[in-house]
Order: sequence, then C-alpha cells, then structure tokens
Amino acid sequence: MSNSRHLSTALKTAFTAALPIVLGYVVLGIPCGILGVQAGMSLVQIALMSLLFYSGAGQYLIPNLWLAGVPLGSIIASVSLVNMRQILYSASLSRYAEGVGKRLSLLFAATVTDESFGINLARFDDPKAGWTVRQATAVNLFSLSSWTLSCLLGAWLGSLLQVPVALASFAMTSIFICLLFAQRFTRPTVVAALTAAVAVLLCKLAGLAGPAIIIGALTGIAAAMLVSLSQHQREQDGTP
Amino acid sequence: MSWASFLIILACCMATMLACRVLPLFVLKGRQLPERLEQALGYIPPAAFAALVANDLLTLPAAEAEPWPILIPLLAAIPVVVIARKTRSLLWCIVAGVATFGLLMLIPL
Repeated sequence: MSNSRHLSTALKTAFTAALPIVLGYVVLGIPCGILGVQAGMSLVQIALMSLLFYSGAGQYLIPNLWLAGVPLGSIIASVSLVNMRQILYSASLSRYAEGVGKRLSLLFAATVTDESFGINLARFDDPKAGWTVRQATAVNLFSLSSWTLSCLLGAWLGSLLQVPVALASFAMTSIFICLLFAQRFTRPTVVAALTAAVAVLLCKLAGLAGPAIIIGALTGIAAAMLVSLSQHQREQDGTP
Repeated sequence: MSWASFLIILACCMATMLACRVLPLFVLKGRQLPERLEQALGYIPPAAFAALVANDLLTLPAAEAEPWPILIPLLAAIPVVVIARKTRSLLWCIVAGVATFGLLMLIPL
C-alpha cells in the first residue's frame, strides 16, 4: 500500500516535470508528421521512426533532405553528426546512473533528448528534489509518448490537408535557429557557426548541395578547434 | 519513400544515435571525458546548427526565378532570432517562424 502510494507520487512528480516537454512536443511533432507524409512516409514508418530513432532534429532532417534528392549516405552522415551532441548529455548523466541496474540505465540513456536532458539535469542537481533515474526515465517516456502521438497526429492531418512543404519545413528551420541562438557565444563558438555557414554557402555554389551540411559542420568544428588552440597557446606564452 | 530506403536510413541513424546516447553513460561511469574531446564535442552544436540554418536559408537563385521566394525564409528568420535570444523557447520560435512565413507567402509579389 505505502509502496504503491510512493510509486504514484513519484510518477506524478515525473509527469509534472515532463509536462512542458509533453506540450512542446505536440507543437513540434505535428509539422514533423506532416513533413514525413510529404516525403512519402507511411503511418507505420513514421511511428517506427518516432519510437526507435526518437530525434526531433533527425526526423525533420530526413524527409527534408530526402525531398531535396540528397543521397542516402549524405542523409545518414548529416543526421548522425547533428546527433553527436548526445554524447555530451550521456557523459554528463553517467554520474547519476552509478549503482543503477543495467536495464533501467539502458532505457534511461536511450530515451534522452535535448529537452528531457535539461529538465532532468536540473532535478538531479537539486538536492531537495531527491531525483531518481527511475523518475528521470519516466520523464523520458512521457516525452517519447507525446512525441510519437504528435507525429502520428501530424501525419494524419498531413494526409487530410494540403500544407505547403515550404511552410512545414520552416518549422524545422525555426527550431534550428532557436537551438543556434540559444548557444553560449564565445570566440570559438562564433567562429564555428560563421565558418560552418560560409562553408555551406561555398558548397552550394560549387554544386555540392548533398554533403553541404556535413562538410559545413565539420569545417566549423575544425576552425573552432584551431581558434581555441591558438588562444590556449597565447595564454601559455603570456603574450596578449 | 520505399521500405528499402526507409530501413537503411532508420537502421543507420538509429545505430549512431543509440551509440551516442548509451555508450558514454556505460563506459564513463561518472568519469570525465578527455578535455580536448569534450571541447570538440562542445563545438558540434554551434557548427551543426549554423550549417543547418545556412542550408535552409541560403537558396541559390535559379536564372529565371523571382527573388521573392528566396527572400521569404530570410525575412521570416528575423523574428525567430529575436525570440530565440529573448525566450530560448522552441515553442514560440516555431509559432513565430511559421506564422511569419505563412503571412509572407500570402503577399502577392
């Protein structure tokens, strides 16, 4: 009895924590489903991708690049590079998963997103919250359910209404602009962003529209590393 | 999208995604990443998101195309940037971006 009450309280706290994400994913998922239908994906495919791949940026990028006629290899490389930021999340969550069972750790790690990472990290770091990996996993699963249902709702709406592709895909552009401008601007990150944008433009001018994103992003990362290395060097030399 | 293409994309993207999501948590067990690696990983978001934004906003004009369709995304991006800096809310950025884009599409030029 007390155990089940304990469980339901823990679940309720998890749901309250997840609520902003759950609502956000409705707005995020609907245009994503619409875009998927426009790229010729079926409801089953959209459901599988939402449940198994579960990536907002990735699921917008795939239909968009597919519609632009980008080759499969470039689609996979671009999507994978964009999702490599998850390594940072996983690395910083690892200290909270010590002593947690393997299966729960796996489920928890496999369902982290930008948004649920932010929400859970804040709870883990708050000693008063007494946050557990079990609750964090519940937050992830509430978010995953909302995402999948919203993508399917979008797919259903997309098959009923005629939504211009350009309009649905601008939802994605807005997300990327938001994620870009929410970054902390330091010298290396500004160099990374500007170099990447210029490299994308140059690729397009050179007729390399397919690999433009991956080439642009890698060039930006390399430029930022060079800037931070030379900054580091100057600090060590003691010259301004 | 055919099932063959779909399954190739899903399997590959899922494999890299799972590796990025799961491996560090199990391998590191609370230890820190090497400093240089963590630094390089930290540059992925600004570089990748800038590349994605540039890819979406910068469309090359075809010889016969009118300039208006090319300007719409650039103009619609302006309120999104302002809202992103002020609120950092994905939700409001989508609403502002799609609404501005839709309104601009209605202007007959």
